[in-house]
Amino acid sequence: MTTIAPTRPRLDWTGIVFAAVLSIAIIFPLLVVGTWAFTEVWRYPNVIPQQFGFRFWGQTLGRPDVWAALTLSLQLSTVVTLLSAAICLPAAYAFARLDFPGRSILFFSFLAGHAFPKFGLLIAIAAIFLQLNLIGTFWGVVLIQLVGTLLFMIWIPVAAFQSVDRRMEEAARDVGAGPFRVFWSVTLPQAGPTIAAAVLLSFVGTFYETEGAWLIGAPGIRTMPVLMISFINNQMVIQFGAVLSVLLWVPSFIALIFARRVIGGGAFARGFGG
Amino acid sequence: MEKTDSRRPTGLLLVAVPVLLMAWLIIWPIFSAIGRTIWRPDANGETGFTLSSYVFFFSDQYSINNLMITLWTTGVCALFLLLICLPIAIYLRFSTGKIPAYVQALAIFPMFVPSIILAYAFIRVLGPNGMVDILLNSVGLPKIRTPYLTPWGPVIGMVWDNIPLTVLILLSGLGSVSNQSIEAARDVGAKRLQVLWYIILPRISNSVLVAISFAVLGIFSSFTLPYLLGPASPEMMGPFMNRTFREVNDPINAITQAVITFCFCIAFGLFYVRSVARNQGK
Repeated sequence: MTTIAPTRPRLDWTGIVFAAVLSIAIIFPLLVVGTWAFTEVWRYPNVIPQQFGFRFWGQTLGRPDVWAALTLSLQLSTVVTLLSAAICLPAAYAFARLDFPGRSILFFSFLAGHAFPKFGLLIAIAAIFLQLNLIGTFWGVVLIQLVGTLLFMIWIPVAAFQSVDRRMEEAARDVGAGPFRVFWSVTLPQAGPTIAAAVLLSFVGTFYETEGAWLIGAPGIRTMPVLMISFINNQMVIQFGAVLSVLLWVPSFIALIFARRVIGGGAFARGFGG
Repeated sequence: MEKTDSRRPTGLLLVAVPVLLMAWLIIWPIFSAIGRTIWRPDANGETGFTLSSYVFFFSDQYSINNLMITLWTTGVCALFLLLICLPIAIYLRFSTGKIPAYVQALAIFPMFVPSIILAYAFIRVLGPNGMVDILLNSVGLPKIRTPYLTPWGPVIGMVWDNIPLTVLILLSGLGSVSNQSIEAARDVGAKRLQVLWYIILPRISNSVLVAISFAVLGIFSSFTLPYLLGPASPEMMGPFMNRTFREVNDPINAITQAVITFCFCIAFGLFYVRSVARNQGK
């Protein structure tokens, strides 16, 4: 009786090298920022901070400009996301399900914003806002950030609506369900998770949006990222920026967890032309 | 019954608001920018066709330098992105297991790090007396010449920032390369490089171009990273436009610079949009 020795899988050296290099290049810088946020004293050239602590959390959170920026950013992101959902989701449903003149050309016209370098486009928009006195106003920033969410908030939900099983809707209608009931009980539960991911990503994207807020909003509107720019440029206390970075990260991590499914799927990369 | 319903313009009404918003804030500003820079009052106050702001841009050495540093940065970033992301994507496409899953998670991770936090992390790590200096010092090596505030600062930052989408786009393109075609080539004795050159690259050349186009469109007029990490002079087009608009308070020249960036990117933009539209149409 012969036993076949199980062949040991060869060590994946390529993978190990990639994993090691990427860990250093991508995780290490973020770890350094994280360490700075919980550091009270760290003088060059010590490898490890002399004193850890939460003192700078209290100081950063005690600053009125941080609170103002945080509330403003949350307000802006909420308003933009709600407006975007209100105007984009019905449009996405129409693109996915209804037939109307000019459907394809209008659907693809949302790509126009991606055909031009973004900051150049922002300058062109800012020149128009200058004439309309929208520079430095809340609604000017809302408009500019709203435009930034359009493509995302239409294309992903369109894919979601298209992937709903039409036969289940028809079956529901056959047993007597009205159109609204079908939408509520059959269409929405299937398309819902993807749409929720799109809404979440649009909220996070708006929260971090820097360039539009900087160009259109200043000097009146100071969002968290804009405040962070000024901290980087002229703040002597290193820890303020570090604490702010860690704070800014919370929404990002939530998005990472919730949106994994959508981004891992091929539909996302195809949306970017892959 | 559904067919007769569906020809009604209800659909048009539902899409009207986003379409109008897009027309007003994307299409119109582009035409308005071109119009306002070539059709405007001259020195005598008479409105007419003039290219003076463009003539000024291309005769001003400072503007030319800014354009050159932008072209250089974009080219170098695109090259590095390909050199880094193509091997990662090929590795991910042809392996399974825990390590590739970890590598993929890492490669996508920067998508969830806002560039503003990246800029801060960059300064803390590679800046003067940053973490790298600390580590080098602890083993008795001299400090690095920091890339912070040199043209290499934005390059490193933007490559870091663009890795996720480049890998995703390339990976999506590699999906069309079948395992059988690789095995067939292997069976007839093709070496690794030959497989790469004759089998893989021709199939994904379109994805490579899409990835480059996407990166170029993003990098050419990027603002945050060049503004925070790059040198003050020459500066990239993003910070240059921002300064002309905000600090010099000269909208006409700022728009002129914007139109010039449009012209440099138009080929990439059209190619990118065409590819995305074709992919979606499938």
